[in-house]
Amino acid sequence: MTFLGYERPDGSVGVRNYVLIIPGGIISDSICNFVNGCKTIVTADSGSGRSKRDRETIARTLVGLGMNPNVASVIVHGRGLGSGYPELNVNRLADDIAKTGKRVEVLDGSNTSTLELIVKGINLAREMVQEASRLRRREYDDGNLCVGVKCGASDTTSGIVGNPVVGYVFDKLVSKGGTALFGENTEIIGAEHILAKRAVNKQVAEAILEVARETEERAKAIGEDIRTINPVPSNIAGGITTLEEKSLGAIAKSGSMPIQGVLKYGERPKGRGLYFVDNWMSMLSIFLGYAAAGAQIVLFQLGGGGLVGDTILYSSGGVVAPLLWLTANPKTYRRFGEEIDFYSGTVIEGKETIQEAGERLYNLILDVASGTMTKTETLTHTDPNQIYTLDPML
Amino acid sequence: MNSGLKKGLAIKSVDNVATVLDDVSCGDRILVKFADSASVLTIESRENIPFGFKVALKDIQKGEYVIKYGEVIGRATEFIGEGRLVHVHNVEGLRGRGDLGGEKI
Repeated sequence: MTFLGYERPDGSVGVRNYVLIIPGGIISDSICNFVNGCKTIVTADSGSGRSKRDRETIARTLVGLGMNPNVASVIVHGRGLGSGYPELNVNRLADDIAKTGKRVEVLDGSNTSTLELIVKGINLAREMVQEASRLRRREYDDGNLCVGVKCGASDTTSGIVGNPVVGYVFDKLVSKGGTALFGENTEIIGAEHILAKRAVNKQVAEAILEVARETEERAKAIGEDIRTINPVPSNIAGGITTLEEKSLGAIAKSGSMPIQGVLKYGERPKGRGLYFVDNWMSMLSIFLGYAAAGAQIVLFQLGGGGLVGDTILYSSGGVVAPLLWLTANPKTYRRFGEEIDFYSGTVIEGKETIQEAGERLYNLILDVASGTMTKTETLTHTDPNQIYTLDPML
Repeated sequence: MNSGLKKGLAIKSVDNVATVLDDVSCGDRILVKFADSASVLTIESRENIPFGFKVALKDIQKGEYVIKYGEVIGRATEFIGEGRLVHVHNVEGLRGRGDLGGEKI
């Protein structure tokens, strides 16, 4: 099967065609406000006062986002990058992104005022989006796609239908030579032994078990009963009783293919296939990490049965990767239907099988890959991003 | 179809709980299907069980494991009779329990 995408100089294929301005801040915001077709990352974390490990994570995320196939070209400027740490050096970031062969411009603020730099950036961005717009979509195999998934506000419909439907899609994508990313390190606790059996080798199996062990140790180290943290209150209100139950339902979204490796947050996979990402569940964080790893499309599989007095928030967390909202819960769909891109509650209603719903979702993903907007994409609102760092702030 | 019959789904034959796929009232009969086989089971609910919550398919003794997806999802903290609601009031998770101060579970 095929989709219509934009080919990049490194051979990857984009499903969108943005000019990316990094890092975030007043300059990138101002450029995006004035110029069509630009995206930026909205994060308060400059790397200042962060450990070397966390600064590397921030650098990896920014570079990865620039390398994402949905990005045609990139503007990098220095403002907001913490205090001259070598990992976050503007030229280092620009050089790393430029390895893809795409155009990267550095916006140098050393001899100019902020407002003058904004004008310079706007003029540069206008020229770059016009240049990007000359590229035409062409037909490419679905094996060129990389998709990342998160399940959230999970309830029991997630584990028995919603996640298995995503699992079907992941199996199909991987069998076509595509790449699929799943993660959420707390939510494999109690199910890690099942994932480890699917690892391609002993080393990967041990890495999966180590992620669960480390995460559980962190939970224990703070001396709290994890049941007061995760499952989160909306999970419990939606019928999920324990973390083990949540995890066993959560891993269904990974399908059944062999797991090729364990990736750090924002790390790009070395090959194609299914990968587990050692990341944090928050939607402000996880989609950004997937986009930095190269995902062109991200999925939010929503339970929603336990959301009381709440509305679901649109999330632009993938920045350059369009987000699809999915749910299997008939009540959630009745309440939030106008915000949901895909409904698999048909399986619960006995009208469709998991395979049939999975085929429908696969076709929708190809349709979105070819340019159809997701519901989130119809809005200009931009949510903040939170890069997943691990060490204390000093 | 019997209009009084409510739907339930268990994942594996060894599971001792099923997820109800309708809002269930006390006394309703629930037709439970299994995802891994053609077998079905009818049980009578002993209390109200909302959509998406779990019902006990058999008596579960205090301290016995609760099984869903063919795996342990926790342990009963009290006797749970067949047809009763199974949730946080009568089941405890066994993982990530920093509150137990290293006590072996």
